[in-house]
Amino acid sequence: MSFYPLLIVLLLMSAVGYWFGSKKALGAVRKSTNFITPRPHQFGLYVVIWALVPPILLGAIWILMQVTPLQMEVGLSQQVNRVLFPVIVLLAAGGGLYFSLQKIGPDLKVRKTIEGLVYIVLILASIISILTTIGIVLSLLFETIQFFKKVPMSEFFFGLTWSPQTALRADQVGSSGAFGSIPLFTGTLLITCIAMCVAVPLGLLSAIYMTEYASQRFRSVVKPMLEILAGIPTVVYGFFAALTVGVFFRDIGDAIGIDIVSESALAAGVVMGMMIIPFVSSLSDDIIMAVPQSLRDGSYGLGATKSETVRNVILPAALPGIVGAVLLAVSRAIGETMIVVMAAGFAANLTANPLEAVTTVTVQIVGLLVGDQEFDSAKTLAAFALALVLFIVTLCLNVIALLVVRKYREKYD
Amino acid sequence: MNVQIQAEKSANAGMDVAEEFVIETRNVDVFYGDNHAIKGVSLNIPKHQVTALIGPSGCGKSTYLRCLNRMNDTIEGCRVEGEILLDGLDIYASGVDEVLLRARVGMVFQKPNPFPKSIYDNVAYGPRIHGLAANKDELDDIVLTSLERAGLLKEVQDRLHSMGTGLSGGQQQRLCIARALAVRPEIILMDEPCSALDPIATAKVEELIDELKENYTIIIVTHSMQQAARVSQKTAFFHLGDVVESGPTEKVFTSPEDERTQGYITGRFG
Repeated sequence: MSFYPLLIVLLLMSAVGYWFGSKKALGAVRKSTNFITPRPHQFGLYVVIWALVPPILLGAIWILMQVTPLQMEVGLSQQVNRVLFPVIVLLAAGGGLYFSLQKIGPDLKVRKTIEGLVYIVLILASIISILTTIGIVLSLLFETIQFFKKVPMSEFFFGLTWSPQTALRADQVGSSGAFGSIPLFTGTLLITCIAMCVAVPLGLLSAIYMTEYASQRFRSVVKPMLEILAGIPTVVYGFFAALTVGVFFRDIGDAIGIDIVSESALAAGVVMGMMIIPFVSSLSDDIIMAVPQSLRDGSYGLGATKSETVRNVILPAALPGIVGAVLLAVSRAIGETMIVVMAAGFAANLTANPLEAVTTVTVQIVGLLVGDQEFDSAKTLAAFALALVLFIVTLCLNVIALLVVRKYREKYD
Repeated sequence: MNVQIQAEKSANAGMDVAEEFVIETRNVDVFYGDNHAIKGVSLNIPKHQVTALIGPSGCGKSTYLRCLNRMNDTIEGCRVEGEILLDGLDIYASGVDEVLLRARVGMVFQKPNPFPKSIYDNVAYGPRIHGLAANKDELDDIVLTSLERAGLLKEVQDRLHSMGTGLSGGQQQRLCIARALAVRPEIILMDEPCSALDPIATAKVEELIDELKENYTIIIVTHSMQQAARVSQKTAFFHLGDVVESGPTEKVFTSPEDERTQGYITGRFG
């Protein structure tokens, strides 16, 4: 029996179980002398749980055995598999159904069982997300260890050239490969800095305008519009950067006699900054709103103007939170890929000049893994090492940012 | 401008006896959107005395108080009509700078609201903004005098640079009074300044109010009848956005003319 009919049979069985369960419960409850008993539909659910959970568990174990090396030892043929699997599953479902229907009676703790299942489902959900994170880190870690077996750490962390083209055949010439990651990290740093130079002032000032100056009506119209910016896919920002902003900067450069390449760090950084504006502004907005009105009143009451109040009272009070928001934005910028892939290009220049082309860590990861690759070459493994370092950097930034924000939150609650 | 105020003050110091109104309000109406919060209030505030505004919650006494330094301007949808004259000049006339007005008419709020700065910086906040001190020594002088006047100096002398938010509730409220005094206002508005304080701290603030009336005109909103009787010379009873009765505190409390006043001060409603 194949999968879908099996599923349908299982669902039918549980539906029948539900019906019989509630019916039997109705009789049992009527005869009961207890004042409060579970309601019939809860008995029905109880039967459904018993009819579904055992086959699902068994099925999961079976599938796991198929994909793990265990399968080879058991050595069951495809034919046996086809028959055995549905039989086991259906038996489990039937057994559960029979067992639970037998047990129905007024004293059965049905609600506790249902509560227990809810508890387990909730725990499973959180465990799965945590395990996924750990899995990602471990997979990065193992590949990174592989990489450092091929390339010395000192070269990766302190090397000044990045050209990951290694020879595919022994007789190829000129492609020895260099894995110095410094140009990538300086490139990332440069673009992130440019992005923050755009995003922090614009985001912060617009947050101040929204919270302190704008009327309620203006705010209710403009704030959602600002947040639309956050919903634009980064690819769209990417070709905006590559086709519009980059060319625009190059033309300006031509006009005033400066040489600006069309794939400049400046264009990528500026557009990335625009992407982050709503991030900074809506976080700072929340933080500024959290500064108590009484502080504003106190300042106005002493004859301070709005801008004096913002400068002397609100910003100092909100500063830790704003710092946290900026750090979160930085980690967003460091991890951003699409814009830089499209606008900044792949040239790993070690430069601090925003008018030249640079590349970032994320762009190189894309470059290393796109196309046909063997997964044991230093070139491919380098992607994992880069990703791990990137992950650690953004993780640290996020942790620091969250600590700062939390410390600030405690002050006014 | 502040020098002028100082001069005026010293000139008037000797003639407290003659009743002189520093604020006159005529037919003041306040609307919050469609809500008519204050209905044609006319009230005069005598100079260098304490005027108490009493009345049940929601009767408009705080709203009225906030009209006197245009703090209502910061509330969206609030509209003030009528005439409010400070020293004979309409403070709602066009061309009046409400920011400077608030420096002349200081305010102390219901909940102590020191800035999250040091005690010194809290008091120095106003003088720094308005440039009242030419140098560090003058600023020190203003800060210390203000704290002294607010009766707080002895308690905080040795920790002027620790956080103002770290003080006790009563000390915080006196810090807020010191902060208001540092701007050298003529009038101090107090919106239930003791409602968040315990009886001992309340007694200290009341004592302070009594001392301050030598040099300042004080208008205090209070829910405590005893407090109004203890600290004020004039009392105005607000009810449903209207001033029902106003006059010398003694008279309002002992022989009120209106039966609503009678009912309120004897605790029959409100």
